Amino acid sequence: MIRQTAMVTGASEGLGKSFAFELAGRGMNLVLVALPDTGLPDLSRFIRINFNVQVYVYETDLTVAKNCEAIFEGLSALGVSVDMLINNAGLGNWSWFADKPLSFYKTQIDLNITGTVLLTRLFLEQRQRPAKAYLLNVGSLGGQFVVPKKQVYGATKSFISYFTRSLQLELSGSGVQVTLLSPGGINTKPELLVLNHSLKGLSAASILEPETVAREAIRGLLKGRKEVVPGMLNRVMLLLDHLLPGGIKKLIIRQKLKVILKQHN
Amino acid sequence: MENQTHVFVSGASGFIGRSLCLELAKRGFIVHALCRDVQHPYLTRHGNIRYFKGDMLDKDSLLVAMQGCEQAYHTAALAKMWCKNPDDFYQANVIGTRNVLETARTAGIRRLVYTSTCGVWGPTVKYPMSENDPRIGGFPIHYERTKHLAELEIRRFAGQGLPEVITVNPSRVFGEGPVTDSNTVGKMISGYLRGKWRLIPGSGEQVANYAYLDDVVQGHLAAMRSGKNGERYILGGEDISFNDFFARLSALSGHTHRLFRVPLPVIKAYSWFEWFKTKMTGLPPVFLPEFADRLSKDQKYSSRKAIRELGYHITPFSEGLKNTIEDLKKHQK
Repeated sequence: MIRQTAMVTGASEGLGKSFAFELAGRGMNLVLVALPDTGLPDLSRFIRINFNVQVYVYETDLTVAKNCEAIFEGLSALGVSVDMLINNAGLGNWSWFADKPLSFYKTQIDLNITGTVLLTRLFLEQRQRPAKAYLLNVGSLGGQFVVPKKQVYGATKSFISYFTRSLQLELSGSGVQVTLLSPGGINTKPELLVLNHSLKGLSAASILEPETVAREAIRGLLKGRKEVVPGMLNRVMLLLDHLLPGGIKKLIIRQKLKVILKQHN
Repeated sequence: MENQTHVFVSGASGFIGRSLCLELAKRGFIVHALCRDVQHPYLTRHGNIRYFKGDMLDKDSLLVAMQGCEQAYHTAALAKMWCKNPDDFYQANVIGTRNVLETARTAGIRRLVYTSTCGVWGPTVKYPMSENDPRIGGFPIHYERTKHLAELEIRRFAGQGLPEVITVNPSRVFGEGPVTDSNTVGKMISGYLRGKWRLIPGSGEQVANYAYLDDVVQGHLAAMRSGKNGERYILGGEDISFNDFFARLSALSGHTHRLFRVPLPVIKAYSWFEWFKTKMTGLPPVFLPEFADRLSKDQKYSSRKAIRELGYHITPFSEGLKNTIEDLKKHQK
């Protein structure tokens, strides 16, 4: 049997790392992509030894267009085609619009939007495209609930949501399964661990571990789901969002915003 | 020689800290031992140990205790399974560590050994974990998460001058000493000896790593002596399964109790019940879901780096277990 190959971007930590373990556990070869000096060589060595799969490593910056191309050129030269692409790399923030420098937003958009679009395109036009291919784009539940302090991040995830849904229409029946992952809060990066740790009640209960999100996402992708919302509580909240009349939602958000603004001042 | 060097130790009433204080004192160090209660029954008495009443969250008390010290061992931590206020874990393990580091710098301490845990790696896949291996899962366990965050504080600090910081990561520590909240192996052994511990989770084939307390204490001293700044060292022992653990415990203690295998889903269901009980009543749980999940996983660790670079020594598990049983029997009578 020829092993299938999955590419995971942003693979060095958090959800990306969990995707790497989940897919290696399923016996897939991996292409791991992350920035230099993020521990990718150690991670790939560990996975090779413990899961007995091939791991290719690309330490590169996806905000540079030609780096995206170089990955697929490199793989093509090795005779490797990618069966599954997990567009996971992304840059988040939780700050007022005025608080981050211009360069931050440029990088955020380049990575979350441009990187995802370019890699998707390159993935779909591989010379030896497999008969059945899988594409998973990591959006966010935040792409559906509009909240303050997530202005650009939330907008990039809305982009991912539209992009993915539109591709689903274009590619239906083509042998490419396209799935949107819309996770809520995840205990991923160290700095988020601090933030999440201070949450209470419902928001604390809805936070998931990254391996749970990765497992549910891959299961949904292989089953052919259009969208995966991990976690029962998140699904309930989404349902409520669809059921509640707009006026009530506005009221709730305004209440929340008042609290946030009070903390700010 | 090492004599008359003043050494600060936090967590002097803890399972590792108390043994460490005594060993340092015996070697002629003057130990400045920090504890919240200087009358604590677990404190060891020795002419070279001076007790300082203080708290990691009170920097002034830290500074007083560190005055005149060249070295520091930071072993204090909140190592329980559960706290009524989960923020206590963050305060003690992260803020406490930050306070100790900052105060050590002010006090002019030259080298500091930080006691972390193999819990920062958590479960393993196939082969034993070593220092550069990644963590596989998330951090649902408060203790592990906050110890990981504390290590990030250490890493940030290690590159910025004195003190030099060396991290040691003991695995599951057992040995002679009081059966404290964090001494989970001691609880298991003493429970078995009294005929109270009667269960083996699941198949009993799951493997964990058991480090003998004396080895871990010597490992701390070796890390202070020859550890590299900013590096971490696993201080472990043998990888042993539950089945093997209890077979050896039975053989060495002469006590044979019939043990019952409890299927993991039953344990998981029970842990949810405990979780719910705790949520409703605030009473301490016997067991929680995040720990039930862990029972299905192996936790194997390799001490090769410490053996190679620090001269770390591993006492055979049976020998350590025998000593521990004798010590517990002595105190149970």
